[in-house]
Amino acid sequence: MTTLLSDTSAPIVAVGLERTFGSGERAIRAVDGVDLSVEPGEIFGFLGPNGAGKSTTVRMLTTLLRPTGGSAKVAGFDVATQSDEVRRSIGVALQDAAIDPLMTGAELLHLQAVLYGLPKADHTARVGELLERVGLSAAGDRRVGTYSGGMRRRLDLALALIHEPSVLFLDEPTTGLDPMSRMALWDEIRRLNNDGTTVLLTTQYLEEADQLADRVAIIDHGRIVSRGRPDELKAAVGAPTLFVAVDPAQVNTASEVLTRFGELRPTAEGTLGVGLAEGAAGVSAVVRALDDAGIGVHHLELNAPSLDDVFADATGHRLEGAS
Amino acid sequence: MSASTGLAVRSLRNIRRLPSAFLPALLMPVFQVVSFSGTYAGITAIPGFPTDRSVNWYLPMAVTMGASFAGLGTGFSMIRDLQTGFYDRIRMAPASRRDILLGPYLAAWTRAVIAVVLVTVVGFALGARPEGNPAAVLSLFVAGIGVATIGTGWGLGLAYRFKDMRAAAIMQLTLFLGLFLTDAQTPIDIMTGWLQTVATWNPLTRVLHVARLGFVEGGSIGDLVLGLIVMIVLGSLAWLFAFTGLRRLDD
Repeated sequence: MTTLLSDTSAPIVAVGLERTFGSGERAIRAVDGVDLSVEPGEIFGFLGPNGAGKSTTVRMLTTLLRPTGGSAKVAGFDVATQSDEVRRSIGVALQDAAIDPLMTGAELLHLQAVLYGLPKADHTARVGELLERVGLSAAGDRRVGTYSGGMRRRLDLALALIHEPSVLFLDEPTTGLDPMSRMALWDEIRRLNNDGTTVLLTTQYLEEADQLADRVAIIDHGRIVSRGRPDELKAAVGAPTLFVAVDPAQVNTASEVLTRFGELRPTAEGTLGVGLAEGAAGVSAVVRALDDAGIGVHHLELNAPSLDDVFADATGHRLEGAS
Repeated sequence: MSASTGLAVRSLRNIRRLPSAFLPALLMPVFQVVSFSGTYAGITAIPGFPTDRSVNWYLPMAVTMGASFAGLGTGFSMIRDLQTGFYDRIRMAPASRRDILLGPYLAAWTRAVIAVVLVTVVGFALGARPEGNPAAVLSLFVAGIGVATIGTGWGLGLAYRFKDMRAAAIMQLTLFLGLFLTDAQTPIDIMTGWLQTVATWNPLTRVLHVARLGFVEGGSIGDLVLGLIVMIVLGSLAWLFAFTGLRRLDD
């Protein structure tokens, strides 16, 4: 563990990071011994359901919250004892794009430039450059209260980039966005990464982690339950999942039938899932067996292993809102 | 521009854009100087009352009230920033915590000057006049800034600790208790019982005496010095209360 922290090349390192809220019997351990090491220039996906501890971890790594245990370094600086140095090195876009609706986009960027101590002579040029980069040049003089959700997110990203940070934290940057805005933001994140920025991205969207992240860590109940490259993690799950929707009264019988074809997997309520050891070739045999048992099938779907399967495999339940 | 100036400019700009958040705090002391000096015009008939103009007595009270509202208004704004998450953005900046705290103070002092000027102009329109030394107006401003400093630290400290509207309720309650349990309305000599004791020992009574210097008879350099000491001590304690509150946000 100490070796991990002494790895000065890793832009983000955490060892046994903990955060407990409250004390005594009412204490809640939101983050429970998280170990992380993010490599330079990678996009690292932090995947988990609501309340898993993603945002709390990010708040500790970005100096907004003091860890109650363990330690972490960002850009080579200790988050607890060198917080000013950490702040100078990172850009952060938090979950609830916290933007003052009374200010204009340009005013917010100017304020950010002041807060980060940029030379005054550079402010106007930098603000214009960032507004253009995120496609908000025309809206820069409008109050943020009139912006759409996607525009706010893009402005939030621009604010995080004002001082050209080497490490970028994006906490659920596309939550609540429409598909077009989401994809536009993904493009921008890829562009930033191509320019050499290391990105730690928290998300509850499987597709987002799959599309963007070089590596992912899956967190549940404050603990990392799985980590690695998305393709490796999915390959480790092995067989594809066959989802079967049957009459609720026949769920138990159907479960017995399905166990003959592979291991049952956690699913959303009202659906059964089985890891088909034979892959797609086994579907017809499953259908026949269900038919022979007199079970009416409402819906059948075969899915290749996804990060949701990885999550289900590791935790025994599926991600909320998983697609 | 420093971080503190940038934050103060933002705060003042928002006042212009959301005047409904500032106007009540501005109009309330104006209403007080108008209504109190009119309703209690007969107070000057009390034997030994230190001025023959009721507005001379009530103007300093309204000025300190208006200045304290300016301080607390900053606390209210802070609650909004904390609840919307905007303050996280400010806290993540590498600016010094002192500068981040100084920003709201600069805004509060500006708001206090606006309030003091307006209330003083209204007071003069109603007939308030310094008894002798015109420099007395300066004492109004000194007391106003002093009270705004105390109110700002108190308001910010509460906002940082509670992070919600509970802080606003405590701010208002303590402000009114603090200012009304002085000789703001009637001279201490004509009070009785515990009210007289509390008003005598209430440090804000000393601040009010600074505001009244030159507007009523009997003020002395001793009152000025004592009042300044009280403002410096309470202002420093309030700053410390706010600063430790800002630090506690990390916990």
